[in-house]
Amino acid sequence: MSAAAATFKPAVETAPQSGARLVVSTLEKLGVEVLFGYPGGAIMPIYDALAGSSLRHYLCRHEQGAAFAADSYARVSGKVGVCMATSGPGATNLVTGIANAMLDSIPMVCITGNVAQGVMGMDAFQEVDILGVTLPIVKHSYLVRSAADIPAVIEEAFHIARSGRPGPVLIDLPKDVQFEMTDAPRGIHLSNAIDVADAAVIDDAAAAIRAAKKPVLYIGGGVKISGAVQAVRDFAAMTGIPQVSTLNALGTIPTGQDNFLGMLGMHGTRCANEAVQESDLLIVIGARFDDRATGKLIEFAPHAGVVHFDIDPSEIGKLRKVAVGVTGDVKPNIEALNARLSSGPAIEVSEWADKWRAKAIACAFDYNAPGEGVFAPQLLNELSQKAGPSFIAACDVGQHQMWVAQYCEFSRPQAHITSGGLGSMGFGLPAGIGAKLAEPDACVVTITGDGGVMMNIQELATVNRFKIPLKIIILDNSRLGMVRQWQEFFFERNFSEVDLSDNPDFVKVAEAFGIPAFRVDARDQVSAGIDRLLATEGPILMHVIIDPNDNVWPLVPPGKNNAEMLEGAR
Amino acid sequence: MTDTVHILIDRADGALQRLIGLVERRGFHIDAMTMAPEGSALAVALTVRGRDVGRSIDNLGLQIDRLVGARRISNDATFRSEAA
Ligand SMILES: Cc1ncc(C[n+]2csc(CCOP(=O)(O)OP(=O)(O)O)c2C)c(N)n1
Repeated sequence: MSAAAATFKPAVETAPQSGARLVVSTLEKLGVEVLFGYPGGAIMPIYDALAGSSLRHYLCRHEQGAAFAADSYARVSGKVGVCMATSGPGATNLVTGIANAMLDSIPMVCITGNVAQGVMGMDAFQEVDILGVTLPIVKHSYLVRSAADIPAVIEEAFHIARSGRPGPVLIDLPKDVQFEMTDAPRGIHLSNAIDVADAAVIDDAAAAIRAAKKPVLYIGGGVKISGAVQAVRDFAAMTGIPQVSTLNALGTIPTGQDNFLGMLGMHGTRCANEAVQESDLLIVIGARFDDRATGKLIEFAPHAGVVHFDIDPSEIGKLRKVAVGVTGDVKPNIEALNARLSSGPAIEVSEWADKWRAKAIACAFDYNAPGEGVFAPQLLNELSQKAGPSFIAACDVGQHQMWVAQYCEFSRPQAHITSGGLGSMGFGLPAGIGAKLAEPDACVVTITGDGGVMMNIQELATVNRFKIPLKIIILDNSRLGMVRQWQEFFFERNFSEVDLSDNPDFVKVAEAFGIPAFRVDARDQVSAGIDRLLATEGPILMHVIIDPNDNVWPLVPPGKNNAEMLEGAR
Repeated sequence: MTDTVHILIDRADGALQRLIGLVERRGFHIDAMTMAPEGSALAVALTVRGRDVGRSIDNLGLQIDRLVGARRISNDATFRSEAA
């Protein structure tokens, strides 16, 4: 990858330093290599200091793109994502990206410039109270009032972002603080205590699992976050308990594994939803009973007791009463549970598991559809098979996102990057950038809709500038497909404001940004198209025309329980 | 039914806004509020009422507990623990 990202030799340090210089040197000290951002008046001192640093800054073309790229970089690398913006409009452009990281518990540090303290609160040029604006969507935030606090605040921010339940942290730096000289930075002390549950609670969990006749393992995004993927796979293998996954946790259990029933919820598999509804015990790990996963909550898994593992105590019992709540870092707690269950008699659920394994085969997704047109599910399945074990899908939001979740095969949770909690259109393209920078050797493919790609299409310029070898697929139904589908079923086919038939020619658009592109509009071109996409060394865009009337199946209608899935004709 | 929650929270930019905003966002009305300085922190007592029956005061306590800088939370005036 050509990293034309600004990389400079470290400057000679001389005390005292400016606040801006301290920002940069603290980020270097914390091991940050990559950051995303966009400059402007109130953050110019930091951009000035950046020019002497070892940090690789990626200039995105919109702050929202920078925030999404940082978020995805964090999801794939496991490090803290960092993004920067100027005050006012720059900072407000970060807001959607911050909310996205908050809802999916992604560690991110956002640095914003602000007007000088002397004019703060006076409606100065480009002044926005970004601390106030973002209070509901950050894990924590700082307004830094003295340069001497900068190293401590940044280190604390990184610690808060990644410890416990991760999330975004905002650091707002008034311009005068960036200029201020200091030679006495304040020190800090951070504790790294790992939260582990009491042995007695693990015993209770083990006892409940032993007593269950129809248990189901319900896996959430917290498993990946806590590094518990192997522990959960071990649990699944040892007990043989059928497993279902949330959207965010796909890949935790590799697609196609024996007792894995797929995704639950609104667009989940029939068999995952039915197994959960019939279960007598749900073992919930790092998941939060999101309504897209549960359907109508009071009818969700009505006969099941719940054993809930989560690092965030406020999630336990928030939406569903639990029989056993195991608070703390999921990894050591599942490891302890595995140790407990490995001694004593084996868990005997084979009859129950066999039933669902048979059902999973019987209601497996169908990759065929009549006609000559491109069938997105078939394309996506073939793509993930051909891309191999390093495949990473960075999705946008809509029907295509659900098809990716349903039809792609994932061998690890990092392989599936999606805006789960916020469901934000525009995520796909910058997320592909962040993922590719986090794992340059991976086969990263952005899969987006014609609506979503337009929301951050300017990031094609970022792809081109840095020659990021990202593969981009636009599944173009010339509609806001997911909204159209809802209108078809729940608003009496009143197709209000979903027509995108005047989309630009995306091949020409890509080429105008310096990115090679080609079109696929018939089923017999799909295979060759995928081969070409994957064989191309640099960035490339494949524009795929699909039927505007294709829908996502199965579907749990809003307000219904998960057993009431609609199945449609193809 | 109202409950009174006692919180000791570090003084910092946005600390009160963060606290009150959280309580309201999580589905509670604030009927009364008193506060006094306690060293470098603020001791805040909030009398709150759930917007609907599904809102549990215990869960609100756990949500407040997650705030960075919230040191003690209790809903019976005797502080529960000394969480850092
Ligand atoms: C920023 C944002 N605005 C609006 C929505 C609501 N929304 C969800 S899916 C969707 C349609 C997406 O259309 P497209 O990108 O073409 O993908 P498709 O559903 O056709 O695959 C819309 C408008 C959203 N999720 N995010």
